[in-house]
Amino acid sequence: MNKVLRLDSRSVSLLILVCLWVLVIAGLAILKPAALGGAMLTSVLQFSTILALVALGQSLVILAGGAGIDLSVGGAVSLSAIVAMLLLKAGMPSVLLPFACMGAGLLLGLFNGYLVTRLRILPLIATLGTFFVFSGLALALTGGAAQSGVPQWMLSWGRGVWFSIPVPFLTATIPVFVLAAVVLGYTAWGRWIYAMGHNETSARLVGIPVDRTRMILYALSGLLAGVAGLVSLAWLGSGRPNIGQNLELESLTAAMLGGIGIFGGRGGVGGVFAAVVLLITLKTGLLQLNVNTVWQVGIVGALLIVVLLADRFYQNRR
Amino acid sequence: MNNDFLVAKGVTKRFGALTALSGIDLTIRSGEVLALLGDNGAGKSTFIKVVSGAHPPSDGTILIEGQPVSFNSPKDAADAGIATIFQELALSENLSISENVFLGRELTNTVLGVPFLRRNEMKQRVAGLLDELDADISDAEAPVGSLSGGQRQAVAICRALNLNARLVIMDEPTAALAVAETRKVLGLTRRLAERGCAVVLISHNISDVFEVADRMVVFRRGRKVAERLRNETTPEEIVALITGAHPDVRALEKAS
Repeated sequence: MNKVLRLDSRSVSLLILVCLWVLVIAGLAILKPAALGGAMLTSVLQFSTILALVALGQSLVILAGGAGIDLSVGGAVSLSAIVAMLLLKAGMPSVLLPFACMGAGLLLGLFNGYLVTRLRILPLIATLGTFFVFSGLALALTGGAAQSGVPQWMLSWGRGVWFSIPVPFLTATIPVFVLAAVVLGYTAWGRWIYAMGHNETSARLVGIPVDRTRMILYALSGLLAGVAGLVSLAWLGSGRPNIGQNLELESLTAAMLGGIGIFGGRGGVGGVFAAVVLLITLKTGLLQLNVNTVWQVGIVGALLIVVLLADRFYQNRR
Repeated sequence: MNNDFLVAKGVTKRFGALTALSGIDLTIRSGEVLALLGDNGAGKSTFIKVVSGAHPPSDGTILIEGQPVSFNSPKDAADAGIATIFQELALSENLSISENVFLGRELTNTVLGVPFLRRNEMKQRVAGLLDELDADISDAEAPVGSLSGGQRQAVAICRALNLNARLVIMDEPTAALAVAETRKVLGLTRRLAERGCAVVLISHNISDVFEVADRMVVFRRGRKVAERLRNETTPEEIVALITGAHPDVRALEKAS
């Protein structure tokens, strides 16, 4: 019954998301039909690519419980992109650029995992600290200047479009979401993540390697931030020290909207994916309708509160 | 007797200056339900923790099937076939029954190092166990969060059986249950023993104990003060032993 209700509440928030999405599209179709089309699809998915990657890492960390949260994702995106570009400038062969970017992200994630699982610092505080460290370091290393010089072959990947769908979306976002869904749904590891997210004590009693799993998930969140940094490089053609700005809060919003329970052990990655697309569509749609950016932020915030209230309402009506 | 599963000899446990257990001699037999009785702080839980590997004994030996063993962790005890069902059941409410029974020891097919779950097989094994225990649960895929307290006990027992436990220790299994549920759990306890498991039951409820236990051991102030077979004693005598009003206990306490 609980599971049924849980799925219900999850599908309720998903349903709200889909309805809102249709509403936004319908609003656009009436008010500005010219804006709808392949170009809009491309631009929505292009922005979605980066947010989706980061939101996936965020969701995995939250799902595993233990008050898990990764506020440093935005900083990790900026810093991994900057580190990779600086290494390129220092003479690293350009072939290694993707590996440098992902490797930097992975190391940053491992550092978070170390703080949380070994030093036992509360994740909110540990990743708040590393958020400032990572984003501050990205600015300090560059003096705030964008780092140009991304090789041409990467640009053709990052800017490539296949039937109106950006290539990075097809080659990075879709595969990692499918992979995450399979691991969560069909493997023993997935069961362990849900079990430890819901009841850490019992997970430890049955012998699940809780700390190691959590360490790996923080590292994965960092790695995904590195991939997002890579996508930003290949798309924009330069490493910007502030590219990850606001990603921590947006990824958190996407995870919550997508039905990930903030206390862990609840939710799936499909909802997160839908939430990312909705958020970006909404923002793009509002932009097309010339709604002030200030209002856009407020609307996203209000949306989050409404969806969580609906979720709460259905939880209480058991 | 050759169905002795676990024999404790002179088991003593000290925490600093406090002696929580002193010189406990106890035999746990396969196919038998043994009840541990005693007031709060009498040493029942400490004894259980020693047997289940959570605390190493300060003194004394534990033999399993005649072989001396020393447990450094609950995992050692589990490997020796001892399963403890704690009051706060180690179940994950967001997972299904079969997922809980196999949690941490899933049946998997490893493809490229990734352990894919063999769901059907796990489901069938659990359905079989539930059926065998006559546990009144029809769907092994139901989430544990939807189960009653007694059904959760059944799931925990299934988990113990699935780990091939030969000694199942149950700590207050009926403490929070309604009457009908209590009946059910006591029935499960009985069936466990009939399957050849050794069962240790800790309970405060004398009538429950008289319903299922073959033998009763009373602890008082860290000592074993009495051991009785069910058909040779009465609830009144057991209560007198627990509270210390019984002449035997008085004599023992005077002597020390």
